[in-house]
Amino acid sequence: MIRLPRLPRPVLRGAGTLTATAILAFALLIAVTGALTTRHAINSSFAEQMQIERAQLTLERMLKIQLDEQNYVRAYVITRDPSDLDSYRAVTAQFEGEHDALAAILQREHLADALGALEDYEMAHRDWHTEVADRMLQRPGAAVRELEKRGKMLIESQSSAARFIEQRLEGRNQEVLASTQSQIDNTLYQRMIWLVLFGLIAILLNGWRSRLTSALEDERLTTQTLQRAFRSEHVPLPNCRIGSAYGAASSHLAVGGDVFDVHRLSDRLGLVIIADVSGKGVDAAVLTAFIKFTIRGIALRRRDPGFILQEFNRAFPRTVGNPYLFVSMFVGILDTWTLRLDYASAGHDIAFVRRGKDVEQLAVTGPVLGVMEEPFDVKTLYLEDGDMLVLSTDGLTEARDSDGNFLEASGAMKWIAEEGTDPALLANRLIERARARSNNTMRDDVAVLAIGVQRASAIPPKRGSETGSTGSSVEAIADV
Amino acid sequence: MSRIVLLAALLFCLGLAFASAAQQKCLAQRGMHITLFGGVDDPDVLVWDSRDRLVSYGAGSTDTRRFLLPHAMLNRPGTQALVQSCIGGIVHQKFSMDADDAIGVLIMSGKYRGRYGWVTSSDIRGKGIPEAAEPW
Repeated sequence: MIRLPRLPRPVLRGAGTLTATAILAFALLIAVTGALTTRHAINSSFAEQMQIERAQLTLERMLKIQLDEQNYVRAYVITRDPSDLDSYRAVTAQFEGEHDALAAILQREHLADALGALEDYEMAHRDWHTEVADRMLQRPGAAVRELEKRGKMLIESQSSAARFIEQRLEGRNQEVLASTQSQIDNTLYQRMIWLVLFGLIAILLNGWRSRLTSALEDERLTTQTLQRAFRSEHVPLPNCRIGSAYGAASSHLAVGGDVFDVHRLSDRLGLVIIADVSGKGVDAAVLTAFIKFTIRGIALRRRDPGFILQEFNRAFPRTVGNPYLFVSMFVGILDTWTLRLDYASAGHDIAFVRRGKDVEQLAVTGPVLGVMEEPFDVKTLYLEDGDMLVLSTDGLTEARDSDGNFLEASGAMKWIAEEGTDPALLANRLIERARARSNNTMRDDVAVLAIGVQRASAIPPKRGSETGSTGSSVEAIADV
Repeated sequence: MSRIVLLAALLFCLGLAFASAAQQKCLAQRGMHITLFGGVDDPDVLVWDSRDRLVSYGAGSTDTRRFLLPHAMLNRPGTQALVQSCIGGIVHQKFSMDADDAIGVLIMSGKYRGRYGWVTSSDIRGKGIPEAAEPW
C-alpha cells in the first residue's frame, strides 16, 4: 500500500502570514502608543519646568522690589526728594501681585514648606513696611540706627525665607528634570526590549517561513522530477506520428496527476493511455507512475482494454488505500498495421478522433476508476490514413476564459479542427491556446497526446465504423 | 579594671581627636583679622552680645528675633574685627539645612570698637576665608 508523506499545507503558510501581520500590527501599535505616551509625559514635564521657571522669576522680581523699596526709603531719608517717595510707592504696589502669583504656583506644585516660607516672607515684608519704612518716611531723622537695626533683622528674615523658596524651586526643578530623564530612559529601554523581542519573532518567523518555502520547493521539485521520470516519453510506433505536450499549472501547488503513455506491446500493437488522477501534488504525481507501470503490466498479460481497466480498477483502491482518490483513464490498443483501435474509457471523455476537418468525441465506456467495480465496454474504431487520435486531460476542456467559462469538449473539438496535421504541433498549439485562454494562469495541468496515422505500406485497412462489444466478451487482438 | 581604664583613656583620646577635627572645620581661626560684611542686599552686620542669642536669633521666628534685637550691635560693612574663638556648625538658620559657625570677635573699628561679640561665619570676610556664595 502506498503511504505518502504529508507535507505542510498552504493553509499553514496563510496562518504564518496572518501571524506575521498581526505581530507587525501589534508592534506598530506599541510603537505609536509608546511615542504618544512619551510625548505627553515630556510635554507635561516641560510645562512643569516652565511653571517652576516662572516662579523663580517671580521670586527674583519680589527680591528686586524689596531692594528697590529699601533704596528708595534710604534715598528719601537722605535727600527728602518726593520722587523717591513716589517710586517707593510704585514698587510697593507691585509686591502684592507678585506674591499672589508665586503663592499660586507653589500651591499648584504642592510645595507646602515653600508656601510656609512665603508667608513668613510676606509677614516680614509687611512688618518692615509698618515698623521701619513707614516710620522712616514719616520722621526721616528720628532713631535711624534703631530702625536700621530692626530693618536689618526683617530683611534678613525675608532673605532667609526667599533663599529657602529658591532652593525648593530649584530642587523641584531637578526632580522634574530627573523624572523626565527617567521617563525617556524607561521609554528607550522599553523600546529596546520590544525591538529585540519583535526582531527575534521576525527572525523566527522568517526561519519558519524559509523552512516552509524550502519544503514546498522540495515538494515541487520532487513532483516535477517524478513527473519527468514517469510522464510518458512516447516510443515510435509504425505508421504513426506521435506528438505530446504538457502544460504545468501556474501555481506549483496545483501540480497534478496527469499521465499519458504510448508503449509498444509488439511489432504492430501499441498501448495508448491517458489518465488523470484526482488530487494534486506529490500524491497524485506518484500515482501516475503506479498507473503507468500497472497498466503496462496488465496489458502485457492480455491486450484487452476492458480487461486492463477492470484489473486496474480492482487493484487501485486496495493499493492506494484512499477512498477519496479516483482516476479517469482512456486505454487504447492500436494495431498499427490495420489501424484498428480498441479502446475503453473509464470516465475519460476528452478523447477525440480527427478525420480531415471533422472531429468526433470518443464515448466513455465505464465509470471512473476507484469508485465501483464494474466491467468496462470496449469499442473498436478503424482509423484511416491521415486521421488523428487526440487525447487530453481535463485541464484542456476546463480552461477558463476571462468570464470564467470552461472551454468544454465542443471548444476543444473546434480547436482540434482548426489546427494542422502535425501531431506534435497540434499538441503544443492546444496547450498554448489553453494557456492564452486562461490569461496565463492555468489552474490545472494539461497533458495532450496526439497520434496521427499514415501507413507507409499499402496494407488496406479494414473499413468500418465504430463497433461496440461487452468488455468480458471482447475478442482480444491477436498479437502477430 | 586596668582594661576599663585603658578603654576609657582610649575613648577620651578619640573624643579629643574628633573635637580637634571639628575645631579644624571651623571657618575662622583664633587671632585671624577679619572684616564684617553681611551680603549685597544688606551689608550691615548684627553682632550679638552672647553666643546663645546668636544661635536663637538664627533659628528663631520674627517675633523671637524682635525680642532679641536689643542685644545686637549693628555694625557697618567693613568693620574690622579679631577672631577670639570659633565654634563650628552650631548656628542653624530657620529655612536652611546648612549650619554656620559661631565666631567670637573683638571689634577693632567703628562705633563699637573694643566691644566683644558673636557673628555667624556668613557675615565675615578675610584672608584665608573662602569666598562666600555672595560676592562683595
